[in-house]
Amino acid sequence: MEALAVASKRERTLAALRAIEPPLAIVADEEGLKPFETDAFISHRATPMLAVLPETEAQVRHIVRACRKLGVPVVSRGAGTGISGGAIPDPDGVLLVLTRMRRIVSLDAAARTAMVEPGVRNLKISEVASAHGLFYAPDPSSQLVCSIGGNVAENSGGVHCLKYGLTTHNILDVRVVDGDGEPLELGSPALDTPGYDLLALVTGSEGNLGVVTRVTVRLVPLPERTDTLLAAFASVGDAARAVGEIIGTGIVPAALEMMDRIVIEACERAMRLGFPTSAEALLLVELDGAEAEVVVEAGRVRTILAACGATEVRVAADAAERERLWRARKGAFAALATILPDFYTIDGTIPRRCLPEVLDRIFELTAEYGLLVGNVFHAGDGNLHPCIFYDSNKPGDMEKSEALGGRILELCLEVGGTITGEHGVGVEKLRQMCSQFRAPEIEAFHAVKRAFDPEGILNPGKAVPTLKRCAEWGGMHMHAGALPHAQIPRF
Amino acid sequence: MSVTSTSASSGASARESLAARLADALRHGQVIAQGEALRPYECDGLSAYRATPLAVAIPTSEEEVAAVMKVARDTSTPLVARGSGTGLSGGALPLTDGILMSMAKFNRIVRVDALARQARVQPGVTNLRISQHVAPLGLYYAPDPSSQIACSIGGNVAENSGGVHCLKYGLTVHNILRVRAITIDGEVLVLGSEALDAPGYDLLALATGSEGLLAVTLEVTVKLLPRPEVAQVVMASFPDVESAGDAVANVIGAGIVPAGLEMMDRLATRAVEDFVHAGYDLEAGAILLAESDGTREEVEHEIAQVIEVMRASGATGISCSRDDAERLRFWSGRKAAFPAVGRISPDYYCIDGSIPRGALAHVLRRTEEMSTRYGLRCANVFHAGDGNLHPLILYDANIPGELERTEAFAAELLELCIEVGGTITGEHGVGIEKINQMCTQFSTPELLQFHAIKAAFDAAGLLNPGKAVPTLHRCAEYGAMHVKAGQLPHPGLPRF
Repeated sequence: MEALAVASKRERTLAALRAIEPPLAIVADEEGLKPFETDAFISHRATPMLAVLPETEAQVRHIVRACRKLGVPVVSRGAGTGISGGAIPDPDGVLLVLTRMRRIVSLDAAARTAMVEPGVRNLKISEVASAHGLFYAPDPSSQLVCSIGGNVAENSGGVHCLKYGLTTHNILDVRVVDGDGEPLELGSPALDTPGYDLLALVTGSEGNLGVVTRVTVRLVPLPERTDTLLAAFASVGDAARAVGEIIGTGIVPAALEMMDRIVIEACERAMRLGFPTSAEALLLVELDGAEAEVVVEAGRVRTILAACGATEVRVAADAAERERLWRARKGAFAALATILPDFYTIDGTIPRRCLPEVLDRIFELTAEYGLLVGNVFHAGDGNLHPCIFYDSNKPGDMEKSEALGGRILELCLEVGGTITGEHGVGVEKLRQMCSQFRAPEIEAFHAVKRAFDPEGILNPGKAVPTLKRCAEWGGMHMHAGALPHAQIPRF
Repeated sequence: MSVTSTSASSGASARESLAARLADALRHGQVIAQGEALRPYECDGLSAYRATPLAVAIPTSEEEVAAVMKVARDTSTPLVARGSGTGLSGGALPLTDGILMSMAKFNRIVRVDALARQARVQPGVTNLRISQHVAPLGLYYAPDPSSQIACSIGGNVAENSGGVHCLKYGLTVHNILRVRAITIDGEVLVLGSEALDAPGYDLLALATGSEGLLAVTLEVTVKLLPRPEVAQVVMASFPDVESAGDAVANVIGAGIVPAGLEMMDRLATRAVEDFVHAGYDLEAGAILLAESDGTREEVEHEIAQVIEVMRASGATGISCSRDDAERLRFWSGRKAAFPAVGRISPDYYCIDGSIPRGALAHVLRRTEEMSTRYGLRCANVFHAGDGNLHPLILYDANIPGELERTEAFAAELLELCIEVGGTITGEHGVGIEKINQMCTQFSTPELLQFHAIKAAFDAAGLLNPGKAVPTLHRCAEYGAMHVKAGQLPHPGLPRF
């Protein structure tokens, strides 16, 4: 009986989608739907009822309207590289795949903007802009494949976001189709837009408020000079102190990354880059800008690194060597796979000053759980990425790693940080949202959701938990009225 | 204007009963409900509009704020929150049937964390006081609206204020990390976080610039920046505003982001020179002031670049400040421009609009044409680097018809901003001043979306009603609703 009802809903949806003019690509067969069953959060999977691949905003509008009429959920998907499960399909819903909308509509070199469709790849924008001496700054590690529409949905960062900001700081204008199928233009190419800042609201909303159909990005001039330094430290604490000192003097490096011993050793084993394997921590510092500026800043950074006890500092002599230093950082996650069959990457943010304390406590927790953790992360931003190693073939190991991950995120909250850095909430961190926010805040999120999507058909069940779920998990913290983070040292 | 059923006839008794309720709600705070004492609250910086509120409440604690909001809720009385009242678009204009809640008593700097470069402050703290307070630590708060001596940080959040230096350092929204705010339902919300990223929808950005329509700010965590080692300013003369406009586009196009990049036309420089003797070139059609700040090497390098671009763009004269005294003298004229213009004309109307920088020369030329057509002088002194225009239309309110002509001129100018792909505000907000222009800026679905957001936070519509976002009804009466859905917006913009 129930199967029959589902089938008929599917038939009705298929008919409504087939009626859309001009006709669009629809995937309805089991085989064809397979590739869409997960994004990069591969531990969760679901086959969508149907998948559609529109080529125009008008088609997107029709799809959303058709689905709203039938009460069918719509999950939008870009390149599917998200790592919190934001694009995992709804088994009773339509998967709206935006990869065929991949035109670069215009590029205005004088205004330093480019207008692109959501399916355009992140790196493609920089490739096209480079002819004008410009680039698009946010560079998530997946930039070769991830799409700009997905970047907007997740408010993606990257190694250079310390200086250049997240996606939200690098876009000027976005067109979206809301849950009613209405097109909205948010933001403007000028400095200021009156009205509520819906552009910022939609950025990072994980497909819950609208489907992105066009993005105007800000382009920045390619820096005149780039210097990359690698410093080795005898302790993680020394390296963390150097991070604080560099930022404290007012230098904003283009990137400031840290790796601990476990990661260094894995990289060395996998790539043989000649890193000092005796070091407990490595810092990778990149400075870019005008010639004079970079030369002076690099000098200052070297002084700070030495003062904080760096045992060795290397400076990349040329682009090739810079490339080599970065290869370790960018290839770190692949290298880590050589340690144990599985690992689980946590993404949390803490105030920078808590770095040494938090790293110590992660180490203690790791010992308590009898697991191994490697740290490779955006230190300048306070954005942690502890990698917990486990073996899924060993009963209970995965559960233990999930429990440890949960504890680490709670630790981030405890020191005044947050449960995400750049990977989003998706389905992965719904539970931690109950710890991060109080009931009135969660309610405000739902109210905002209803304002864009009254029927709740856009990516339901992601990003924001229901209060009922929070109550079931028992994770809702009541910190109203209490001084938050009372244990933080003041002044 | 009246929104609720409280009509003028029952005004006196409504006032008394509301005052009594508010007095009950406030233990230490103050209630003003009659006479001369209400006067100072009649308007904000947009003094052409005035209204006397039913009562002014001045709470002293968060509990008292919650109690005042409960009174508003229980009696369905609209409530307008007010900081220092320096806003220029009427955002803090009281409602005759409403409560005006002054946040002036919330003037404590709660905590400064020099290492994290953050300060947590109450909303009534003035903008400049934050910078003064952290100066001994070598830090400052970057956004610097001209009213920074008086304006409050809570008001800055409500209006998303900018300032001369926002070209490099951003608006208020880029310089705050976290806001605690209370909704009309009495719920305290923490928006944003003191770490890099906050999950969930970006309600911090949503609340910033919402002009008091969504919630009342209780506490703000601002970012602090290290004070730059040195600052230097270049002053360049140009034969006309168009060439100066092109120079601005060229500076930005060259990848330079000056700390400030300001333009003044001849009418403005002449008015100012008589007033402050800043040493401006009075023969120039326009002058540009470009400030560079940072380390000594950085500034030296950038100043050299700026001079090169200015020269290549046809500057007829260039001078560079030799010391801080001279730098401040160069700026003195810019900062005194508004009062100086006040000396050469009985009245002036300051417009605030933004345009893509590439359109500067075009818009300035069209402004000159309009000035001739309307028979009204117009002085230009503005944040050129941001494309944030502040044309000052000079008029005499005593000459019949001049105010109306001025308003028509202003409306045409704002429509021109939209036409070239810009917006009807730069940094002054919408308030009540530009509520009609909102109908031109946005399509019906977009305005409906704003109302839906408002309803998500304030379903009864009690917080600052009638400001910032026009009703569709009002737009229909104004007759300016553009249907731009489905059309290519700004077809006049050059593509690719």
